[in-house]
Amino acid sequence: MAESTSDLIVIGGGPGGYVAAIRAAQLGLSVTLIERAHLGGICLNWGCIPTKALLRSAEIYRLMGEADSFGLSTGPLGFDLDRIVARSRDVAGRLQAGVRHLLKKNKVTVIEGSARLSGPGQVAVEGKGAFTAPHIILATGARARLLPGFEPDGRFLWSYREALTPDILPKRLVVIGSGAIGIEFASFFAAFGSEVTVVEALDRILPVEDQEISALARTAFERQGIRIHTGAKVVGLTRHESHVEIAAEAGGQSLRLPADRVIVAIGITGNVEEIGLDTTRARVEKGHIVTDSLCRTDQPGLYAIGDVAGPPWLAHKASHEGVLCVEAIAGLTGLHPIDPRHIPGCTYGHPQIASVGLTEAAALAQGHTLRIGRFPFAANGKAIALGEADGLVKTVFDATSGELLGAHIIGPEATEMIQGYAVAGTLEATEAELIATIFPHPTLSEAMHEAVLAAFGRALHI
Amino acid sequence: MSQPPRLFASPLARRLAAAAGIDLATLTGSGPHGRIVKADVEAAKAAPRPAPPVPAAAPAPAPVPQAPGVTAPATGYTDLPLSPMRRTIARRLTEAKATIPHFYLTVDIEMDAVLALREQLNTRLAPDKLSVNDFILRAVALGLRAVPEANAAWAETAIRRFTEIDIAIAVATPEGLITPIVRQADRKGLGELSAEVKALAARARDGGLKPEEYQGGGFTISNLGMYGVREFAAIINPPQACILAVGAADPRPVVKAGALAVATMMSVTLSVDHRTVDGATGARFLAALKGLLEDPLRMML
Repeated sequence: MAESTSDLIVIGGGPGGYVAAIRAAQLGLSVTLIERAHLGGICLNWGCIPTKALLRSAEIYRLMGEADSFGLSTGPLGFDLDRIVARSRDVAGRLQAGVRHLLKKNKVTVIEGSARLSGPGQVAVEGKGAFTAPHIILATGARARLLPGFEPDGRFLWSYREALTPDILPKRLVVIGSGAIGIEFASFFAAFGSEVTVVEALDRILPVEDQEISALARTAFERQGIRIHTGAKVVGLTRHESHVEIAAEAGGQSLRLPADRVIVAIGITGNVEEIGLDTTRARVEKGHIVTDSLCRTDQPGLYAIGDVAGPPWLAHKASHEGVLCVEAIAGLTGLHPIDPRHIPGCTYGHPQIASVGLTEAAALAQGHTLRIGRFPFAANGKAIALGEADGLVKTVFDATSGELLGAHIIGPEATEMIQGYAVAGTLEATEAELIATIFPHPTLSEAMHEAVLAAFGRALHI
Repeated sequence: MSQPPRLFASPLARRLAAAAGIDLATLTGSGPHGRIVKADVEAAKAAPRPAPPVPAAAPAPAPVPQAPGVTAPATGYTDLPLSPMRRTIARRLTEAKATIPHFYLTVDIEMDAVLALREQLNTRLAPDKLSVNDFILRAVALGLRAVPEANAAWAETAIRRFTEIDIAIAVATPEGLITPIVRQADRKGLGELSAEVKALAARARDGGLKPEEYQGGGFTISNLGMYGVREFAAIINPPQACILAVGAADPRPVVKAGALAVATMMSVTLSVDHRTVDGATGARFLAALKGLLEDPLRMML
């Protein structure tokens, strides 16, 4: 069979792989991208993007329910789950076409099929032939981690995929796992009237977030009627005719949670199998490929980026690694490894939660002396005008150097605003520059300014 | 008019440097466009402090005792702004000297045979001339063919043994040191090597080298013999494992067959990255080099 040669092969067309391919093409490399399912990967087709489309429907529905408080009247409220889902699929479809166009524009050769490493610099794609390149990037992503006994069954037990294209609006929904994915689905289904119960094994929801933010999120979700069990271990599942019952233990108590549908969202595991890693020196630890700070595996010429290379499992981390990896391959100098402290994370429930850098507890554990700033949206004019005055902005500074160690937002547009702190962190701003920055009035972002002022005893509006 | 050049440093780096009493002007920035960032200040804090710069040679007035922390008035010296190339050289060499476990091997090589052969060849080649350096380059290339372990680099997770013999030649330019590369040097004759080195060096001095002409290479030669330097130890050009420092060939007393004699001797010092190449391997390479230069007809084969 024919053998095609290029400068770079990228395996996987998600936000890590397709961005790496485009950047490589910009740098003059000839690139072959191999994708087994759909360009854009899970993120664009079955993750970040379609969930945002669903959550937008949920947000509008919620606002319609609050119309009266804005002096507006509506007819009886209703929704059509099929059309909500259809819109979400349409959004994913449009973006997938966009990625295809971008790759074509950059003259990236796209091969559809399952790739397998077949020797140094060699990749075999069934039915498509052999491909060779001196550099190969693995960007094969990850999949939901399974909970033994709770494997998706296509009926009662949903993976993210069934949850994105639900056959019914479950009357009773149990979500196992309270990371970003679990919380977003809980928020969506709760908005449309499902009785949602979240079961989290750790002692708080959104366990990667700052403890104070986790607690505020819990209060907000519980106020919306979402039931939350933390420190809860799922121990059994009983199947009935038309529903299931989950047995759990929390703090010595036994829980029985009847559910029409169950979503399992307890984390992800890298797609490291069936790609021929056994033919290489690359190492796999805890379900992920081990890489150095420039995304290199132990096999010269073989690289791994994004979810398959380990946490944080975030599309923007994958894309950034893709760019860094390719720039190193192309011989660009002055590259800096990614500092995980500068990677923001976002959860798009209601309320939204976003953060960058260290939590208060992590900063203390690292030995910093801290200055903490807090500013509630209840004291922000724009938030009150919007009718979205719940939430908090919290800043964590090193008291000695004034370095912004972390920032945490829960509340309206938190996910859009966090990049302000991400820019500040990347530029190594101190409190002095943040205080000197003029924030426009009236905006939600003024709360970010005030949270900096508050850390230094200078808040104006509280 | 004569404002000091603007110093690019992040706010955090400025504050940390001030707190640690580090002069930002002494740092090399590793951030975008050479900007000094927190990591650079922390690296400087971790590194031993350099001795204060020696003042210019102008006769200084009797030293006035100074309170610690008081900065001397800005007279008696000129600060030359760093070019991007100078910053790169500074960073790479600091990294190399600080992180590579160097060791050094020196041998003396009798050069009378090479000089005699060179004179013979040059009478035929006139007006073109072969330099002693051309012979050294040829000998190094053949020496690397005999001891390929020395044609290697440290690749963090592996020792990279090069399949081609590509030799970098250190060339001084007004901007600083640059190392154009003679590719596949072992497959080229003396005349070809000589012409190529001349052309590369000329373009290096004009700043006309393309990146691929100075990036890569498996071994570097640095020759200060023309300045009369007898011997010196060069800093390794990473990720390569070896650099050969070549001194001047000059008449020296030697002992031959138990009697004092005069021979033209040249000392060369090989700086070696011990992670990649061991002492015995480095010594075998030098022995091969010495053998070739002392019996240069072997290089003609």
